[in-house]
Amino acid sequence: MLHTSFNNPGSNNPGPNNNNDQSGFIELFVKKILLHLDETDQSKLNDFYLLFDHTSPNTKIIFNSQPFDNNHVIEFIKMWNTSIVTTQHVLTSLDYHIIPGLGFIICNVNGKVRFDESGNDRLGNNSVITTAQQPINNSLTSTTTVKKRPLWGPYFGVSLQIMLQERILNNDLNNVISGFNYSIVYQPKDSLLVEH
Amino acid sequence: MINRFNNTNFHNPNNLSQLAQQNVNSNKVKISINGWQNATQNDVINFISRKTRIAVVDSYIDGQLVYGFVNNITQANNLLNYNGIRFAGNALKFNIINDQNGTGVGTTNNTIKLLTEFLYKRFNPQLKMLDLSALHQDPVLVSNGLFSSLSTQSKMFPALMKLAESESGKNPAFIIESINLSDNNLKDVNGLNSMALTFPTLKNLCLANNQISKFRSLENWKNKFKYLRELILTNNPITNDLSYKNEMLRLFPRLILLDNVYVRDETKLNSILNLPFYKKQFFWENDQLGQYATDFISNFLNLWDSNTRTQLLQLYTPQSQFSTSVDSSIPTSTTPNSDQDPSFGLYLPLSRNISKVSSSKSRLERLNVGLEQIEKAFRSLPKTKHFLLESPHNYSVESWGFAPGFIITLHGFYEEVGKPDLDRDLASNSNKSNNRNRRYNNNNNNNRLGKKAFDRVWLVIPQGNSVIVASDMLCVRAYVEGSWVKSPPSQTKVQPQQQPLQAQQPLQVQQPLQVQQPLQVQQPLQAQQPLQVQQPLQVQQPLQVQQPLQVQQSGAILTPPTSAGTNMSNASANNIINTSTTTTLQIPPEIKSKLNMQQLILVNKIHLETKLNVQYTLMLCEQSGWNYDVAIRGFQSSINNIPREAYGM
Repeated sequence: MLHTSFNNPGSNNPGPNNNNDQSGFIELFVKKILLHLDETDQSKLNDFYLLFDHTSPNTKIIFNSQPFDNNHVIEFIKMWNTSIVTTQHVLTSLDYHIIPGLGFIICNVNGKVRFDESGNDRLGNNSVITTAQQPINNSLTSTTTVKKRPLWGPYFGVSLQIMLQERILNNDLNNVISGFNYSIVYQPKDSLLVEH
Repeated sequence: MINRFNNTNFHNPNNLSQLAQQNVNSNKVKISINGWQNATQNDVINFISRKTRIAVVDSYIDGQLVYGFVNNITQANNLLNYNGIRFAGNALKFNIINDQNGTGVGTTNNTIKLLTEFLYKRFNPQLKMLDLSALHQDPVLVSNGLFSSLSTQSKMFPALMKLAESESGKNPAFIIESINLSDNNLKDVNGLNSMALTFPTLKNLCLANNQISKFRSLENWKNKFKYLRELILTNNPITNDLSYKNEMLRLFPRLILLDNVYVRDETKLNSILNLPFYKKQFFWENDQLGQYATDFISNFLNLWDSNTRTQLLQLYTPQSQFSTSVDSSIPTSTTPNSDQDPSFGLYLPLSRNISKVSSSKSRLERLNVGLEQIEKAFRSLPKTKHFLLESPHNYSVESWGFAPGFIITLHGFYEEVGKPDLDRDLASNSNKSNNRNRRYNNNNNNNRLGKKAFDRVWLVIPQGNSVIVASDMLCVRAYVEGSWVKSPPSQTKVQPQQQPLQAQQPLQVQQPLQVQQPLQVQQPLQAQQPLQVQQPLQVQQPLQVQQPLQVQQSGAILTPPTSAGTNMSNASANNIINTSTTTTLQIPPEIKSKLNMQQLILVNKIHLETKLNVQYTLMLCEQSGWNYDVAIRGFQSSINNIPREAYGM
């Protein structure tokens, strides 16, 4: 199974020995991905989806050793949006190699992530059961209008490998993510989200 | 005796003081005082009373010691806290004298025994519940005077918690999920603060029928009982407060039931607060890729740790790339075993962390392309030891097919055992680094050797009958325990045969070994296609001149996997290249299927060290109880008696 882009390396293929430093651009893109992971605005989901090469059956997505392959980009984004509380990522390390001839860039990313431990999900809903007798006047129980501030928990460690198609260097950001392997590599014991 | 603290008597002050006096008399504790000799007996007793506010009565001298009595065991224990206090130029030493004449409990040991018995009497192992309700009505406690006043009561709970903690350490059946503290006349929970430390994962708590009236006292429990599911506070004044429910929801993030009313939707709560999947130790797309990744990693790291790290260059080509990046962020201090003061001095001159290194020139310089640069980089990194064999649970692997090759990611740790061969600081750009060292002058501290955590990614591409590493990226970070490590390993030495903790793991690994055979038979060679059509890298065959030793050592690494599948379902059909015959060590499938991953790694490693053939390697492993050190020692001690046929195929 081949990627069409293999045969089309592009006219201005930079290559690893090219003096052109593409690092800044790639760093920006990785930060953009992290921002998409932290996004709570539902209208931005499609933008995130479009970054992935969702038309190819070979696009690989792995989250904490759980594969979402066979083009289940949408499953991954759905899972992320509905099953994971609001996050905040910080980039701590980035390295990348442009693989000559293959048309790919492999990125090794490390970062920190913290989770909203307020009990609200990404959409601002919580699990509190409200009764008719008790008026909803507290921020804990109100579900509408007021923008809720997250209660950030402690930082977790993240290791992330991303495969990007080389045409991203031509400023083509559509469907460029071909592989995405996200792992939480350390977790603080005092987080609410840690298994006991 | 039993009923004297029932509620009617308890609130009668006359009765109370009378009964208290009785208690005081029956519970005196005998103590001894040493180190008083520079003054008179009266002086020392007065001094103690002034300093400690504890009265020692009926004192007398016997030999070197002054003996006396204090009112009860609590006072005696308090007195012990003053051990070493200076008096007339000497340090005083207090001891509790084991009272033999049966006047009461009187000694620390007896009290502990009594309270421990009491704990077990109140502990229900089926319900995992500790019932500490109505302590002042307990006949045993009351008759022993352990509940004679409010001050002893307030010390009672911390003492019980301490005992419960040590008991749960000793007795695996002593698991407490619920605690009942109803009917204890509690006005606040200050005496119970230690409970949050003893039982941080407590699920159910009953405080009914107490006098708790203020939120402030419960505030100490905020962020403490994170797993509290049910709380009962009925018949406490606090329940009348308008914000009662909201406050309780705020204090206890996983509270579901408050006074027998559901306050949170448990399913919804779990979906919010639990990650959908916690990190598992291994992921591989298909079984063969899994076995391949295991072989690759164990062989690669074996050479990486050895003195001949540069032998690995056989796997690299003039277009291969290698780089190191330093993630200098400090892990959260509450992460188990995290290194809060890591030193990266040896790596920083090589670090290609784009988010930290801003100069374009450095970014390009620190990318190593081709054999010469990669060799230099390898020799500029500290000498290491990985513990894949000794503590496999500390390593996590993901491996997935990608276009013409596959990607292996390894998370784990290593120990730095020696400074690098090449001092990068001096070798390159000495002017700049010298300035820097002079300026900060903390070179030694920055170059400390220690443990490091790392994430390493290889992009591996099958090439003919071997493989090449197209890309190799190493991220070094402060040591920290991996998120996939389920429970702290109790034994340092791993014994593969008896490892309840890792029971699921061999299952995953054994599977591929068993199905390998049928796969090859059933699936004809359909798919050389991806390999033949694609010749993207103009690769020169890596070093052809190889000595027998090198061939053998790197043989397993050089063998491409039987499948670099591009998706799960039809991965095996993709490109079966029958290369299993070229692996370093040919273990017959029926034996292989009985070994788990640690055993396989061990067999490979022993074989590499000893050059023994399969039969003898297995024999050595079995006889040594699958312990690497024992096996190597056994091999060395009997090296002269090993027959020639033990070597070679």
